Amino acid sequence: MTEKISKRDKQVMKSLEDVGHEIFKQIQKGDNPTYELPVRNLNNVFFDEKSKTIKLGDKKSERQFINVAHSRKFMQTMLVAAEINKVIRESATVSIRDLYYALKHTIADTNENTFEEQGESDPIIEDIEASVNLLREELHLSASSKGVIAGNMKIKDGKDTIDLTKMGSGGWGVPSNVEPDRIEIKDLKAEYILFIEKDAVWKRFNEDNFWKKNNCIIITGRGQPSRAERRLTQRLHKEFNLPVYALMDADPWGMYIYSVIKQGSISLSYSEESLATPATKFIGLTTQDVETYKIPKEVTIKLNQGDVKRLNEMKNYPWFKKKEWQNEFDNMKKKNYKLELEALSRKGIRYITETYLPKKMKEEDFLP
Amino acid sequence: MSEEKKDAKEISIEEKGNNAEQISKEFKEHSVAEFFKKNMQMLGLTGKIKAMTTIVHEYVTNSLDACEEAKILPDIEVQINELGNEHYEIISKDNGPGLTNETVGKAFGKLLAGTKFHRMMQMRGQQGIGCSGATMLSQITTGRPTKVITGTETGKAISVEITIDPKKNEPKLANLTELKKEFKGTAVKSQFKGVKYVNSEQAPLEYLRRTAIANPHAQITFIDPSGVKTVFERTSKIIPKKPLEMKSHPRGITIDEIITLSKRTKARKVNSFLKEELDRMGDKAVQDLTKMVSFDLNKDPKQLEWDEAEEIVKGFQKIDFIAPRTDGLRPIGEERIKKSILSIVTPEFLEVNTRKPQVYAGGFPFQIEVGVAWGGGAGKTVSNAEKDEEGRAVRKIEIMRFANNAPLLFDSGGCAITKAVQSIEWKRYGIRDAENVAMTVFVNMVSVHIPYTSAGKQAISDEDKIMEEMRLALMDVGRKIYRYVGFKKREEEKQKKRKLFNKYATEVAIAVSELTGKPMKPIEQKLLEIIIKRLKIEEAKDAKEQAKWENVSEEEIEKEYEKTKEKEVKAKKKKKTKVKNKGDEE
Repeated sequence: MTEKISKRDKQVMKSLEDVGHEIFKQIQKGDNPTYELPVRNLNNVFFDEKSKTIKLGDKKSERQFINVAHSRKFMQTMLVAAEINKVIRESATVSIRDLYYALKHTIADTNENTFEEQGESDPIIEDIEASVNLLREELHLSASSKGVIAGNMKIKDGKDTIDLTKMGSGGWGVPSNVEPDRIEIKDLKAEYILFIEKDAVWKRFNEDNFWKKNNCIIITGRGQPSRAERRLTQRLHKEFNLPVYALMDADPWGMYIYSVIKQGSISLSYSEESLATPATKFIGLTTQDVETYKIPKEVTIKLNQGDVKRLNEMKNYPWFKKKEWQNEFDNMKKKNYKLELEALSRKGIRYITETYLPKKMKEEDFLP
Repeated sequence: MSEEKKDAKEISIEEKGNNAEQISKEFKEHSVAEFFKKNMQMLGLTGKIKAMTTIVHEYVTNSLDACEEAKILPDIEVQINELGNEHYEIISKDNGPGLTNETVGKAFGKLLAGTKFHRMMQMRGQQGIGCSGATMLSQITTGRPTKVITGTETGKAISVEITIDPKKNEPKLANLTELKKEFKGTAVKSQFKGVKYVNSEQAPLEYLRRTAIANPHAQITFIDPSGVKTVFERTSKIIPKKPLEMKSHPRGITIDEIITLSKRTKARKVNSFLKEELDRMGDKAVQDLTKMVSFDLNKDPKQLEWDEAEEIVKGFQKIDFIAPRTDGLRPIGEERIKKSILSIVTPEFLEVNTRKPQVYAGGFPFQIEVGVAWGGGAGKTVSNAEKDEEGRAVRKIEIMRFANNAPLLFDSGGCAITKAVQSIEWKRYGIRDAENVAMTVFVNMVSVHIPYTSAGKQAISDEDKIMEEMRLALMDVGRKIYRYVGFKKREEEKQKKRKLFNKYATEVAIAVSELTGKPMKPIEQKLLEIIIKRLKIEEAKDAKEQAKWENVSEEEIEKEYEKTKEKEVKAKKKKKTKVKNKGDEE
């Protein structure tokens, strides 16, 4: 590659090389090589009232080379840092799966691999992102994205311009890097964004031309959304001032996905400021809807133990402290059922797109 | 003898009426056979597996005793052949002094013929009722005689078939022939039905293995029903000294024993009889006793009544006596136990401890010996055992119990030895999971009188003093094991750690070199140095920790024991109150 390395990339490389120099210094001094990194668990995240997102606290943990419990991870951290540096130097972008395979090899004189599965390298990447405080995209890494989007807007991706009204039944696959230097949003005419939990439901909305009839953008992360869908949603909200509505199953998992879209997740807490969209509102489903829309009881599902446990946990999250949410948790526990979006099909295939959602929007029946 | 005939005989007694003399005579005639049948359990002859082991025990004990007496290094061979369903032939052969025409009948054909009852002496064969019991069992299960070939040093060898006349308890010899071949020793061949050979921890093979461990001067060969031959090699050429017969100590004597002794004594007065026949019985004690009893101690001991003997025994409990002599005990000895366990168990590490003699219940001298073998061939494998990482069956703890050098294979749960082993906090000695560890614990109690829990004589009663001695011995050995196991574990861990860090050092060096542009080799070199330095610091810490242990005295262990005992008592009380409370609720 002869492409010139950008200034930004040079800065990124310097942060990574600094990590190397710090460890090198420790080794020269004969100290136990130690890498300091932020703690990424529930004990070290907080809900920032100002930005309304989850943020990483300042608790640090040490990863030591001479420590039976740390040694392997320490080695892996060094390998990942060095590899990312190499990727940037070569002006390439790789997926986190590429990175895993690039680094996987058998350690000399052993039958042990540097990484046994991608599940080992992914968290190390997040550790490095958090510790050098850089976004995955800035590190030239991409996660596989899986979400799709459709609506009245155009996207300029490199030299190509894509009209999102002409994407057929599958929609446009959101690429992993949606940073402004890569993706430009053009000719946006929609009035709001509908973030749908499930792919099957998104397809229903697309087939029924919901976005055309209601002048909106429909997007799904196919379950738990990856960063790209969330980052794109945030950009649409910030750059075009579009309100965001989330349409989820009425169950703890759906509520959790909503909270990730709105406030962010614990594991990515270090970069939620650029991923979360705190203005998101929860349009449905709610347990209240069962009565309001006279949904037959037989399509509801009984809560299991795990559901109840999860509800109790979420009830205590600071970002779910609003009265409306507390009521919803209590109601779900009291009624002892949950229900899926598809349950609305019991009232007709197009009930969700033609009756339920328009009514919800009209009545502004949201949870905050 | 057929059942039918016997019944007919019994009926005939009834018919003869209540002539006291007659009944007494008939009773004597019937007594042995009846006693035998009714007390099969006590004699160790119930249970198909147990009976088989007991028979082997009787033959082998007989051989060991005879050889010991004649100062011969024993060579014993036992062979078991399966003849049919629950039908076996047992052949046992030794190189002992042999028996004469006169003694062979008594040895194999007269029940309770031995001199083993009422003797204050450490004796191997306190269980069972000797070879004649086996002859009897063979006779009543197969109707066959027991065949004996025996030869002494002087005379020629003879072959004879022996049965027992159950009415007279007298041997019946048949087909007595002199052999042309020379043979010294005794070989016995007999058949049994209703017994069973299995390869279990309570079977003859294990019995012989343990016998070999407790008798390192014996060479024992075993051929099992499938023809597999096992040889337990002799590890010591020293024939153990015979235990000494000791006089009974006043604190350990029973009314029955006093009566028995009083019938045999040559003394003319009870006071001189007591002084002569009992240990530690002096003039002072006689004076004290005179004041306590209601009869004249000058009376003829032959006239001593049961009630009077009872007064004497009660009186003894109030008199201070010097503890009994302990010099008649003959433990196996540390060196000998070591040699035999190393040879037969083949452990990686072994510690033994023979304690000094002690006295329990005021009147009985006893001595405890323990050995703890760790690693290697120690412990036992069980069928369908779990497998370790390398696919080897996980070995379990094996507890070998002995009383007067004879293995105890049954009733392990109720035995003081099992309780003592289980009461040890093995964790303190570096053994985390004592149940699942390759460890063989050997405990032998020698005494003039082993306090068995029941007539089966397979479990030792947990007298306080006995438990304490066992625990102290085990704890002492435990500490030595800890030193070894601990050291080994630390060494292993250190090697493991070094390997782990070294493994990653090169990878880290390559990555750091990649990030910094510095050459890889010096970074790697430096990392390896850091690993060595760090591990040395850890080692120093461990050494300090170990030094602490080295300085713990026996007294501190004893204190520890007292503490645990108190705890146990408290726990028991708690349990009791709990049970009580539960009862209340109900």
